Amino acid sequence: MSRPKLLALLGVGLAAAALAEEPRPLAIVIHGGAGVIDPAKMTPERAASYRAGLAAALDAGYAILERGGTSLDAVMAAVRIMEDDPQFNAGRGAVLNHEGDAELDAAIMDGHGPRAGAVAAVRHVKNPVELARLVMEKSPHVLLVAEGAEEFALEQGVALLPRGYFRTEGRERELEEARRAESERLHAASLPGSGTVGAVALDAAGHLAAATSTGGLTDKHRGRVGDSPIIGAGTYADEACAVSGTGQGEFFIRQVVAYDLCALVEYRHLTVGAAVREVIHEKLRHTGGEGGVIALDRNGNIAMDFNSVGMFRAARDSRGRRDIAMYRDAR
Amino acid sequence: MPAKNSASAPRYALAIHGGAGAAPRAQLSPEHERRYRTGLEAALDAGFTLLERGGSALDAVAAAVHLLEDDPCFNAGHGAALTRDGAAELDAAIMDGRQMRAGAVASVRHVRNPIELARRVMEKSRHVLLVGAGAEEFALEEGLPLVPNHYFRTAERLEQLEAEQRGRHVSDLMPAAAGTVGAVARDGDGNLAAATSTGGMTNKRPGRVGDSPIIGAGTYAKNGVCAVSATGHGEYFIRAVAAHHVCAAVEYRALTLEQAVRELLHEILAALGGDGGLIAVGARGRIVMDFSTEGMFRGARDSSGRQEIAIY
Repeated sequence: MSRPKLLALLGVGLAAAALAEEPRPLAIVIHGGAGVIDPAKMTPERAASYRAGLAAALDAGYAILERGGTSLDAVMAAVRIMEDDPQFNAGRGAVLNHEGDAELDAAIMDGHGPRAGAVAAVRHVKNPVELARLVMEKSPHVLLVAEGAEEFALEQGVALLPRGYFRTEGRERELEEARRAESERLHAASLPGSGTVGAVALDAAGHLAAATSTGGLTDKHRGRVGDSPIIGAGTYADEACAVSGTGQGEFFIRQVVAYDLCALVEYRHLTVGAAVREVIHEKLRHTGGEGGVIALDRNGNIAMDFNSVGMFRAARDSRGRRDIAMYRDAR
Repeated sequence: MPAKNSASAPRYALAIHGGAGAAPRAQLSPEHERRYRTGLEAALDAGFTLLERGGSALDAVAAAVHLLEDDPCFNAGHGAALTRDGAAELDAAIMDGRQMRAGAVASVRHVRNPIELARRVMEKSRHVLLVGAGAEEFALEEGLPLVPNHYFRTAERLEQLEAEQRGRHVSDLMPAAAGTVGAVARDGDGNLAAATSTGGMTNKRPGRVGDSPIIGAGTYAKNGVCAVSATGHGEYFIRAVAAHHVCAAVEYRALTLEQAVRELLHEILAALGGDGGLIAVGARGRIVMDFSTEGMFRGARDSSGRQEIAIY
């Protein structure tokens, strides 16, 4: 049987089951990046501030689902809030490249369709996830990069901002440190890419969506694109599974992490939890890649896992779950 | 281990494509057909000679794609399709199935052989994908000379762009999106590799990136499973994560390579409304070439004596 037919049948079966029992589950899961700050350096104030940022994004996304909104709107709202929050490595407060500029990547995917949009290496767009959505909805394309993507933004009436908007003192300091470390050849020791943001959601219609946004790596080469805007690598959603990743993007691209995880769920019939474990703790670790993912299936099963020190993450669903955590022990 | 039946298990194999969506048979003049066949043959032989001498799959796919980039018949490198601004913007990727290393570039305008730059990204940088001006800066850092954009432009591509912009889809040479080039190979040590290079769609928006440089979409290789290079309507191949889909179907569902390719092209992409084609080589050197368009410029050669060039 073809995959679309199989999925359609599954959908009918699940819809019947849902009618007979409880209302369809709603769920949203977000991350604010893997490889977070060394626990020893995390002050109570900083921890509270990160938690507040995650909570704001989580609850804004969930409120959309509760009102009957789409998973696509929910993931976009959550990611946009984190893009605007300078604590996270996306939008304002993104890490800086070797030249000292923020260069931003984002993707969004609607599992119902499936449709997708992405942008990479943009330098003047306040909310890259919104531009990614415009690429999906207003262009025949999936991925636009650099100046061409910004030209499209202008055509769509999206205002461009000066590069200074994205730069924060904290990120400038990090770039200085990275440059020093590079010259001392210690660079490999630091985990790049921490702070990428992402969200996956399941709405009342049973549709999944995923979105990811990032500034990439501190001190990255100009033009470097990581996994976040690559459909199948850092972002993926179909009718059965949605994933957003964070970590060492090059490893995520080579292993096509997000799609591989969904393929394990769909073809090997693993639970999302088991698929996430296999991808993060076996496959990714085996190649030396560090990072984490959040994933959600069509029944609202949530998985969040990482092989780094920690991962800023949060989840909320219609069964009453609401967690926000940073380290392994759910702190 | 020597294969008992050499016809079913070639030691090494190479397949190449010069794009799906070939012009309707009636429109391709014998003269044009001869040019395409000559170009495909030269690329196939160059790559295959390397494999015969014990060279790696990676070197073979790079050599084949390099020649196709230099051939103005094909939509890659010299002779690439032009953007709506009349410039060439090139994308390419290469993947080594041995360690699953990969390199890619997108939206470069001044690099003579994008496949060579993609290989440098894989071998000389910490990254997988570099785009735009940043990718060209890396080219300069690597000592690759840049060429003016008009190096890529040919009279035929300009004509196509003008026809497209006048709203006429016709071209008696080749349709707008066709001509992407690619190669997949298995070498004598069992290593797999894939490479793809393209100018994308005629009249495309500057900055548009298709599936060719996206690892898992247009290009993918994993030892023990398969290597894939795709061509066609890139947006659909990206959404379907086409190249990785084929490998996942082989690895997780134990489909044959033929079945996996057929399902992708004729069921999944067909349901989405996207057409195109792809070439793949399996872990044991089996070559599959399939397409949902009228034709696909393609060639295949292996150590058990298979040798073919075909369009329809």
